[in-house]
Amino acid sequence: MRYAILVLALAGCASQTPAPVSTPGPEPAPPPVVQAPAPVPSTPGVPPVLRPAARESTAIASLMDSARADAGGGRLSNAAATLERALRIEPRNPRLWSELARVRFQQRDYTQAESTALRSESWAGKDNLLRADNWRLIAAARDARGDTDGARTAREAAQRFEK
Amino acid sequence: MARRARILRYFTYALLAGAALFLGYALHLDLRVQDEFEGRRFALPARIYARPLEIHAGLRIAPGDVEDELRELGYRVGGKDSESGWFAKNGNELDVAVRPFMFWDGAQPARRFKITFDAGAVTSLRAEGREIPLARLEPLHIGGIYPAGNEDRVLVRLSDVPKHFVDELVATEDRKFFSHLGFDVRAMGRAAWSVVRAGRTQGGSTITQQLVKNFFLTPERTLKRKFNELIMAVLLEMHYGKDEILETYLNEIYLGQDRDRAIHGVGLASQFYFGKEVQQLTVAESATLVALVKGPGIYDPRRFPQRALDRRNLVLRETRELGSISPEQFMSARAAPLGVVPKPLVGTSPFPAFLQLVHRQLRRDYDEKDLRSEGLRIFTSLDPRVQGAAERALAKRLAQYEKEKRFGPPGLEGAVVVSDPQSGEVQAVVGSRNARYRGYNRALDAARPVGSLLKPAIYLTALSEPSRYTLITPVDDGPFVWKSRGAPDWKPENYDKKFHGQVPLRVALAQSYNAATARLGTDIGLEKVLATVKKLGIDRELRPYASTLLGAAEMSPFEVAQMYQTIASGGFRSPLRAIREVTTQEGRPLQRYALNVEQAFAAEPIYLITAAMQGVVREGTGQGLRNFLAPELAAAGKTGTTDDQRDAWFAGFTGDRLAIVWIGYDDNRAARLSGAAAALPIWGDLMAAVAPEPLQLAKPERIEEVWIDPQSNLRGDSGCPGAVELPFMQGSAPAERAPCATAVGGAVDAVDNTVKKAKSWLERIFGR
Repeated sequence: MRYAILVLALAGCASQTPAPVSTPGPEPAPPPVVQAPAPVPSTPGVPPVLRPAARESTAIASLMDSARADAGGGRLSNAAATLERALRIEPRNPRLWSELARVRFQQRDYTQAESTALRSESWAGKDNLLRADNWRLIAAARDARGDTDGARTAREAAQRFEK
Repeated sequence: MARRARILRYFTYALLAGAALFLGYALHLDLRVQDEFEGRRFALPARIYARPLEIHAGLRIAPGDVEDELRELGYRVGGKDSESGWFAKNGNELDVAVRPFMFWDGAQPARRFKITFDAGAVTSLRAEGREIPLARLEPLHIGGIYPAGNEDRVLVRLSDVPKHFVDELVATEDRKFFSHLGFDVRAMGRAAWSVVRAGRTQGGSTITQQLVKNFFLTPERTLKRKFNELIMAVLLEMHYGKDEILETYLNEIYLGQDRDRAIHGVGLASQFYFGKEVQQLTVAESATLVALVKGPGIYDPRRFPQRALDRRNLVLRETRELGSISPEQFMSARAAPLGVVPKPLVGTSPFPAFLQLVHRQLRRDYDEKDLRSEGLRIFTSLDPRVQGAAERALAKRLAQYEKEKRFGPPGLEGAVVVSDPQSGEVQAVVGSRNARYRGYNRALDAARPVGSLLKPAIYLTALSEPSRYTLITPVDDGPFVWKSRGAPDWKPENYDKKFHGQVPLRVALAQSYNAATARLGTDIGLEKVLATVKKLGIDRELRPYASTLLGAAEMSPFEVAQMYQTIASGGFRSPLRAIREVTTQEGRPLQRYALNVEQAFAAEPIYLITAAMQGVVREGTGQGLRNFLAPELAAAGKTGTTDDQRDAWFAGFTGDRLAIVWIGYDDNRAARLSGAAAALPIWGDLMAAVAPEPLQLAKPERIEEVWIDPQSNLRGDSGCPGAVELPFMQGSAPAERAPCATAVGGAVDAVDNTVKKAKSWLERIFGR
């Protein structure tokens, strides 16, 4: 049952149009800000975080865009490869680690999803929005592995950062 | 066709009538020909590539390094707009026309871009006048896993080969190729006559016969072999068209030797001699390759340019005589220089130690047979610049040591492993001071006592219990005796043969005090220390003896790299990986070796041990590094020296590189080696050459920095001489203030504010 919910959540995630990280033309329509929906406590799932991050360098932004396009199109292995490529350029970028964690989740590698999100945590500093995302993802990953207690702890952590 | 087949049949009948025995023999040969030719698939070696160089604005790289990489890729200086595979330098700008390349994630077409440099970094990257975010150079081919005979080839279709190539080949080797039945009676007669008359052998084989000879027959030159060759050539012509025979010939033909690697086929030969694809060969270049058919050694355009030029021009003349090229084409081709690119540094591989690691990691997932025949493309993480720096650092220093006779007799050996601390990707492996030597790979296979390199594991175990141990906890460096039944007493001594009494924990590590460490390790418990070593990524079972604490345990440099990797990546263990991706020959992805991380340690104790290891470099046994690296880099490291000074180690990391250096003698003889004197300079040379990034640690939330007065080991401030700012797990720092602390009131906030004004090196680095 839990898995069914997760799959639905993932399907919802996949069908979302990725928000571009880079701003394309000279007259940019403001990139659509997809805000993470308020978490519904009873339905663990991955929040589709596709927040545009203006501070990325153009190289990183272009790789993030193409990773998101790949992930959106279900080419998860390509998305992961592209994010790793970006991480070789900026290994301390917590947003890249977080995106990679999200792809790992979609690949249903919940152990890697969690530890990769934790890797993002170590560089996240005061980016509370990102940290809340990470902990929600960790909660979902723990749920998927059947670790209900751990998931609850993670959700509590997420809520602390949402404030 | 039908007429030819009929003639052939009559020919065969005639022979049949002549001898029934011959029928059996011919049938036997026919089966062999069909069998082998039909199922014939060239065994293609796995091709192994280095990491591609990714160029983007902000990349720290000198223009010269990009040029070097392009030269190693066989790029020429200057070229036509319509061509790829060249670059041009204009001031601080590099104009590059990259060749098309099939990457793991898809094909990248030929493209042209301009890189602008300033102060050792890329400032802009443009294509067609527009800024582009990223450009990838094709990766360097660094070797392969070869079939028997180390045959290497790149398959081509006949339609890819320029018509003038085929014309020149036919004109020179076999003028009647398109009309004969597999043999040329007149040429055969000439050859036979020369054997009979002068005992000399002479050419005269058709292209078909040459193919048969290469495919099925041994190289001895006898009449019997000639006879077999003839029959089989005829049989081949019976079953297959001229185009099939020609295409196979073009892929089979041996055209040169690159050290131990045999260059086969026109596809690879075009790349090997001219750095281009076969489609782009000019009339003159094709003729140079055709000239090689007669003898790749004799007409090698690199070794014997004049001979190669003469033979090339002969090929051109013969082709003109047949009217296949016009007099104008002939004139301009004959005037062209040979135009070969410098010989690439490949052989079966210029980096045998790294290749061995790749091969071993591949063997977990692939059959040896497939690796040697399926033409897999293997994308690795080797960084040629880092590899080169590591090779040079090791070779140069060992040569210098021998000259100065400082550490022992000649014969000193060494190994280096370099990896990316964040991802665990291996960037360089050197297995010997002679890096081209493909023998004993000390980086992977030499298990040597690690000496003090194990100490960080002991201190990490201690610092994981913040209520018992902080960086300033006093530890006793007095004489220490370990008694255990059935073993002689163990009495570790210090390197300087002195004991130092009570010292702060961080100093015991920085100075690598043995007695203090042995006491600390036995206080915490050997079991806990060994559990830490395991969590750091060492699978090898270490013996549960107290002497293990001081590094009696044996490990390879590669294993040590794994252990330090876990510390360098903030406590996240990632298996060291040399391979990124594997694709089929056509570029279809087969397998990706993903970046996997596992949190093995909490962030806080890792932060503390790393700070202590920075102390080793700043003020301890590793301070010699100040002669190589700016202190702002804040590198973390550890020296290692073993009993009787048999081994010297240095292990450490900066922000973007982790490196392990080992040196010693293969016969494990006693010497006068020490980590600080012998291994550290190699590590320093290597790091200085690759311009590392500063080590910036992600400070965990529960870590606080506190100023400590070194005299009292209490809270200090700018009023205390030599006050140091040290990290503590929250609540573990001393509460009491040192007498020297001048701030009024004693509130911690006030201390922090006072101290902030005194700009310490830590602040400058971390920007806090």
